[in-house]
Amino acid sequence: MTWTALIWIYLWLAGMAGGAFLAAKAVGRFSGSKDDSLLRLATYLALPLAVVGVLLLIFELGTPIWFWHLFTQFDFGSPMSMGTWILIAWAIIAMIMIVSWWLQEKVSPEAAASLARMRKLLSRINIFFSAALITYTGVLLAVSSQSLWAGTVLLPALFVVSAVSTGVAVLVLAALALNRIADGSMAELKLALNQIFGTTQWKTPKETILKLAEADALIIVLEIAVMIGYVIWLVTSTSGSDALGVITTGSMAAPFWVGVVLLALLIPFGLDITIRGKAAEAKGVMTTVITSSACVIVGGLILRWVITSGGQL
Amino acid sequence: MADAILYDSTKCTACRACQVACKQWNELEAEETTNRGTYENPPELSPSTWNKIKFTELEEGGEFKWLFTRLACMHCEDASCLNVCPTGAISKTDDGFVLIDQEWCIGCGYCVQACPYHVPHKDEHTGTARKCTSCANRTSNDLMPACVTTCPTGALSYGDRSTLISLAEQRVTALGGSATLYGKNELGGLHALYILEDSPEVYGLPAEPQVATKNSVGQWLSGLLTAGVITALPFWFIFKRKSQIAAGELDKGGAK
Repeated sequence: MTWTALIWIYLWLAGMAGGAFLAAKAVGRFSGSKDDSLLRLATYLALPLAVVGVLLLIFELGTPIWFWHLFTQFDFGSPMSMGTWILIAWAIIAMIMIVSWWLQEKVSPEAAASLARMRKLLSRINIFFSAALITYTGVLLAVSSQSLWAGTVLLPALFVVSAVSTGVAVLVLAALALNRIADGSMAELKLALNQIFGTTQWKTPKETILKLAEADALIIVLEIAVMIGYVIWLVTSTSGSDALGVITTGSMAAPFWVGVVLLALLIPFGLDITIRGKAAEAKGVMTTVITSSACVIVGGLILRWVITSGGQL
Repeated sequence: MADAILYDSTKCTACRACQVACKQWNELEAEETTNRGTYENPPELSPSTWNKIKFTELEEGGEFKWLFTRLACMHCEDASCLNVCPTGAISKTDDGFVLIDQEWCIGCGYCVQACPYHVPHKDEHTGTARKCTSCANRTSNDLMPACVTTCPTGALSYGDRSTLISLAEQRVTALGGSATLYGKNELGGLHALYILEDSPEVYGLPAEPQVATKNSVGQWLSGLLTAGVITALPFWFIFKRKSQIAAGELDKGGAK
């Protein structure tokens, strides 16, 4: 097997990073809120996830010290080349945004206003790069000669939906963890976070977290639909049905049915349904949200594993 | 001028001298293998096996029959490996042969996934992808590729591609039956041409190989459109529509 664990862990991390950014941007857009603290959390979370992913990717290369050869070529036809440039553009923008947040309360109000305007523009540009980033994680596999990846055009769609789903889940877990720290007694940790975020306002309202979990339930419905489409497409194609057999009945069947179908799709969907209409303070609601988000994240990793490994068998 | 290697399966005795010659000229290590119940060995192409004869066992009219075919780089005109290579390490010679620059390849493994014939392999020792070069370092010095030079039965020949095609077509006509020429038009034309006794599928060759980048645009669109839908619909519904509904209900409640 040429592409091993480091590749599918990377695909999962990059998906979560881009997905979290897109989700936070969408929440800002549709809630009409001027407060960009969720986007800040997403960006602070996404950049390290992507950077760790890239380090894994470089380590997976046969000749890691030559990774810079990637930056000598700009090739529309090679998804890996496009991915390299998308990722670097996305990361540079995310980094500038983080620095601007960090400086926000350290500069004059006029400068802070300019920073906020610049950030707004940059975050809009990164909507495109985030969408391209999570798409590329699927296109990378789909533009190949492996039937499980190339036999349909729905693999990028599947990875995109999963990326946003895992992105929402990681936002939910991070927001809950930060809220717990804010409400806790670890003063030094709070001070450190004040420093990192450049502000003391880094709590996320419980209602927003609950709504994120509700949105994830809808995303999972779409993910189930795309998954069914993906399976049907492969079953009805000549080379695809054998390739699909590897994951549905072959050596990858256990992780597929347990890890993907149950853990990534059915269990979190079922859990999110039980909290519909409940208040954030209601008993067990946040425990359910945490469990569901954890399932989505682990399930997303198993999805990348099953597809990446299954396609090479 | 486009060149090619022509393999005539009907003249091949599977002596595997070509395998040995390839290893000798390219200084490729021998592989330790085990008896798998076939004379075919090694089992597949690898970073140190760039050329091998594949044995297909058939039963025809109660009689055992062997079909031989050659596995090595097909040097496609529309080469998937070259299309997806992210560093530009893969190039094509003027003769039409596809080469991986060992000084530039970073060993990302993309060509391994993209090749419709599963030819390139990632070498863990060199950290690069490796495959048949059609002995470019020989042909550029007016020598035949090592496999062609060594072939004792005339099953392999090397030369101008169009000349070889006309020779091969004559041979296919003479053979009659289900004999066919493989590689004339596949993937824009292969620079490895095969005279086969039977249809390509019988030999395990794809009858209609597809270039890996064939659906690129569709694949990108599929992801980008889905990204648009997935960041609009669920978030609009939960964060906007539901708030509007809730606000509407509150208004009604207030009017009572």
